Amino acid sequence: MKLIYTDSLVVGAGLAGLRVAIASKERGLDTVVLSLIPAKRSHSAAAQGGMQASLGNTVKGMGDDEDVHFQDTVKGSDWGCDQEVARMFAHCAPKAVRELANWGVPWTRVTKGPREVVVNAEKVTIEEAEAAHGLINARDFGGTKKWRTCYTADGTGHSLLYAVDNKAISLDIPVHERIEALSLIHDGSRCHGVVARCLITGELRAYIAKSTTIATGGYGRIYEVSTNAIICEGIGQALALETGVAKLGNMEAVQFHPTAIVPVGILTTEGCRGDGGLLRDKDGHRFMPDYEPEKKELASRDVVSRRMTEHMRKGKGVDSPYGPHLWLDITLLGRKHVETNLREVKEICENFLGIDPAKDWIPVRPTQHYSMGGIRTDATGQSPHLKGLFSVGEAACWDMHGFNRLGGNSLAETVVGGMIIGKYVADFCEQNALEIDTALVDKFVTQVRSEIDDLVEGQGSESAFDIKLEMQRIMMDYVGIFRNGLELNKAVEALQALLLRSRNIGLTCKKRHANPELVEALRVKRMLKVALTVACGAEARTESRGAHAREDFPQRNDKDWLNRTLSSWPSHDATLPALDYEQLDVMTMELPPGYRGYGINNAIAHPDTEKREQQIIDILSKLPDEADRHARQHASMPFEVPPSLQEKNERLHEKSLSNRAQLGDETK
Amino acid sequence: MSQGRTLTFNIFRYDPQEPGDKPKMVKYQIEEAPGMTVFIALNMLREKQDPSLQFDFVCRAGICGSCAMVINGFPTLACRTLTSKYPKAEITLMPLPGFELIGDLSVNTGKFMRELAERLKLWLHPKADEVDIHRIEAPMAPEEAAKLYELERCVECGVCVSACATKQMRDTFVGAVGMMKIARFELDSRDTRSVEDFYHVIGNQDGVFGCMTLLGCQDNCPKDLPHMQQIAYLRRKMATALV
Amino acid sequence: MSLNNKKNLSGWLDMSQSLSGVILAVFLWTHLVLVSSILLGEDAMTFVAKTMELSFLSEDGHGYPWVVSLIAIGVGLLASIHVLVAMHKLPLSLQQQRALRQQMSVINHGDTKLWVWQAITGVGILLLLPVHLWLIGSAPETIGPAGSADRIWNQGVWMVYLPLLLCVELHAAIGIYRVAIKWGSERALNSRDRIKKIKTIVSVVFVVIGIASLLAFLPYA
Repeated sequence: MKLIYTDSLVVGAGLAGLRVAIASKERGLDTVVLSLIPAKRSHSAAAQGGMQASLGNTVKGMGDDEDVHFQDTVKGSDWGCDQEVARMFAHCAPKAVRELANWGVPWTRVTKGPREVVVNAEKVTIEEAEAAHGLINARDFGGTKKWRTCYTADGTGHSLLYAVDNKAISLDIPVHERIEALSLIHDGSRCHGVVARCLITGELRAYIAKSTTIATGGYGRIYEVSTNAIICEGIGQALALETGVAKLGNMEAVQFHPTAIVPVGILTTEGCRGDGGLLRDKDGHRFMPDYEPEKKELASRDVVSRRMTEHMRKGKGVDSPYGPHLWLDITLLGRKHVETNLREVKEICENFLGIDPAKDWIPVRPTQHYSMGGIRTDATGQSPHLKGLFSVGEAACWDMHGFNRLGGNSLAETVVGGMIIGKYVADFCEQNALEIDTALVDKFVTQVRSEIDDLVEGQGSESAFDIKLEMQRIMMDYVGIFRNGLELNKAVEALQALLLRSRNIGLTCKKRHANPELVEALRVKRMLKVALTVACGAEARTESRGAHAREDFPQRNDKDWLNRTLSSWPSHDATLPALDYEQLDVMTMELPPGYRGYGINNAIAHPDTEKREQQIIDILSKLPDEADRHARQHASMPFEVPPSLQEKNERLHEKSLSNRAQLGDETK
Repeated sequence: MSQGRTLTFNIFRYDPQEPGDKPKMVKYQIEEAPGMTVFIALNMLREKQDPSLQFDFVCRAGICGSCAMVINGFPTLACRTLTSKYPKAEITLMPLPGFELIGDLSVNTGKFMRELAERLKLWLHPKADEVDIHRIEAPMAPEEAAKLYELERCVECGVCVSACATKQMRDTFVGAVGMMKIARFELDSRDTRSVEDFYHVIGNQDGVFGCMTLLGCQDNCPKDLPHMQQIAYLRRKMATALV
Repeated sequence: MSLNNKKNLSGWLDMSQSLSGVILAVFLWTHLVLVSSILLGEDAMTFVAKTMELSFLSEDGHGYPWVVSLIAIGVGLLASIHVLVAMHKLPLSLQQQRALRQQMSVINHGDTKLWVWQAITGVGILLLLPVHLWLIGSAPETIGPAGSADRIWNQGVWMVYLPLLLCVELHAAIGIYRVAIKWGSERALNSRDRIKKIKTIVSVVFVVIGIASLLAFLPYA
């Protein structure tokens, strides 16, 4: 058995993982990154739109700052997020953008003078300032008050990932490619590394480390169709879950995007509808006005996704070998518009559907898009339950997204979270010794080895491929956009049955080295546990919040459900996760629960809300008049970031308002 | 969209780790479905007919560059290749030549690209080691940023390397991917490397002066990168440095 | 600027390959145009042949046939340089040839095939050109309608000239096409498809002129 020792072990070589690895290496720590694939192939590359950071360079971003970004993020989360974390994030986002510029990201820049943009489907001319010329630009995104999303043309994730991986290469950080982590080595209170398998040779290795950071992305592939890369299978979450000690947070919080193409589930941008595209059913009927007479196709993402699903359930979907779908019609925009403003959509349609969207309708359906839930961590990125285990990015429930993530905040989380948590990981490695308990390591390696032996040599008769497909269909059918107690219960039972069957998987390909069937079998057993945490969490949460929409409980219930679901796996033989809840304390919130400003306003209020609102007003009014927005913020909800990130962010147009002026502003 | 056809796949099979295994072409048949891509077909083959079949897909959206293979004589991304493109319903799949074969259609492009990046130092060498990330960033001409992005669209799929006869004959040749990346950093005003620095890396037989301009790179690049102009630009730059 | 010498060499080699190729191609086309004067009749060709021998400088009007020998030697030298610098781009070892064959059997690429043709015709030229240069260079005074016709048709040298014509015209046009895209001019005129088309036209036109000229010597034989 091969043993590899390091200080900082990172599982996953996407943006978040690489950023943590860089932070460790910069502090002189020995660092190793494990990845299923070459780092630059990670799913981070697929993020096209951009990342939010309140630089405020563009004229449409003027007046933006951390406060506005924070508020947008909290409202977007439907008050499910950790507000301190959201603050840390909003504070560090501009720093991350500026750091990345120095690592090579060719951010799209502001050009001074007038330019024509489309706002509300109307052409508007805006005038960029002379002083902003050449500074980092930003575009408009949903759920934000200002134009805040920094971008590089239509490939932001790609250029970020390439810049960050290049930085990692320049620091000589080894990325062990085609290595799959299969279990965490731990003693019940501290994590000591992972047992991993080489996907080429089949060799089992133990990586022993002071800190283990899981940055493996989301779990979108527990659904049959997802916009996620096919490697986003939630194995990172499963690793943590299987310790029985670490816990997963808010696993039921899963975001769906309305318009992914059928069958492959690749996203077509919201711009299609923003520019005037329509949704049609199998009769060619434009159905959205029937459900949402006011906003029609341009209601919020979750609303449109829900209506589309509802319509297909009525049998109005277009049948295809890949299941029912609806049509996205952008033919009415005209060829010129499609070929200039929606070039990307056109290319996707040509390459994947063989159609011309300027004359053909695009087959679309709401599709799983993002996992808000993940490995529960504290603000430093460490699991509160298992010391030495860190998690970052989509893999984690650091919890800046709560129950709904804003566009542009996911890419931002990878590099901002990575920047902050990377420093805490390095601190941890400096403060803790490497503990090597060979008997413990042996125990975990033997476990994995016997699991593989059972699969290869055992008499199992179930097919890993079939079980995976069944799981994915259950998730699609019963744990989708619309949820209800009956179906969720069905899902839980069916998944439980599948979990039992998965213990009887047998292989037809008996190779121990490169064997795709073995990989599938090892993964599906783990994915099922993750799927169960999603289904059980959703079944238990009898309210609707953000992306979690219960038909039988349509109200957001702050009174009973202002909390975070925690799931853990009680024992090896268990077939269900154990759930408990972590309360969100209204009395420490900077922004107590309220109306988001969009969607239905139907929340059941929390008893502390009014009390806290009054308390904040009292705190602020007692501040001296020279207290600026930073002092006010600090007074209402102090938060901490590592010392090197504490400095204030400089902006082109920042005006400092007195406390009284700001108070007046708010009471208006 | 053709329906109900039976597709015949001729797939290269070889497991270099399996003692006694020899390279061979194996025939598979599959019912075509509307909108079927080589990605969908290969997964169906693996799930229904041969679970040992090796191939690589990640994003399956033409973004990540994992799935390059030679399809009926043309190296390209398999995920975005529709089976309906082939009227004869016969599709031959070969692994990319010029890379270490992992098995069947899977080749080790990642290892190649990492080694290339280390050898050519393919990262930004910025002016200052430390920039102040709390202050307003240094401005950059908007046109320069746009130009850099155009060159940065490479997904390291390996198509240019496999389509390059020069690279096949000369193992140490940096290939189009190496030269394109050098061109990207050469263009970047934030990079401190001089022409001489770049000359030492690609001003030789393994770089611009070994390239025979066969343009297999440009003709097959799935991202339509401007190899011809960029390599010619570098060559002129290097030649000028020499004279 | 200080660049180390070893690395310098490959740059110079590459440039001299392109440069010698361009000079040879220009010479070739000029030469063929001059030879094709036979198409305009006996007198035209005699005039050209004499002028090439610098007859206008000599008092008796006979010129200096050794000038042609000098040109032949010059071309031979230039061609040798071209061969030497181009050689190291060719697959010389068995291993390289195998790698190339293997790749070309898997990947279908037009310009690579063109290059293989260039290599094959290059080898053809390497074998045939010395014969041509020797024949002309050793007896420059025989160049003229009657002398050339006799050589080509009575002595059977057309069996050298015809394949040589095909080889050089393919080789030169492909070579010039490649030099153009290799050093790339950013002018719109030089779009690759267009250059490629011009290349094909040039090949065809010169092959036709060449064959017509060969045939035109027939009556004088």
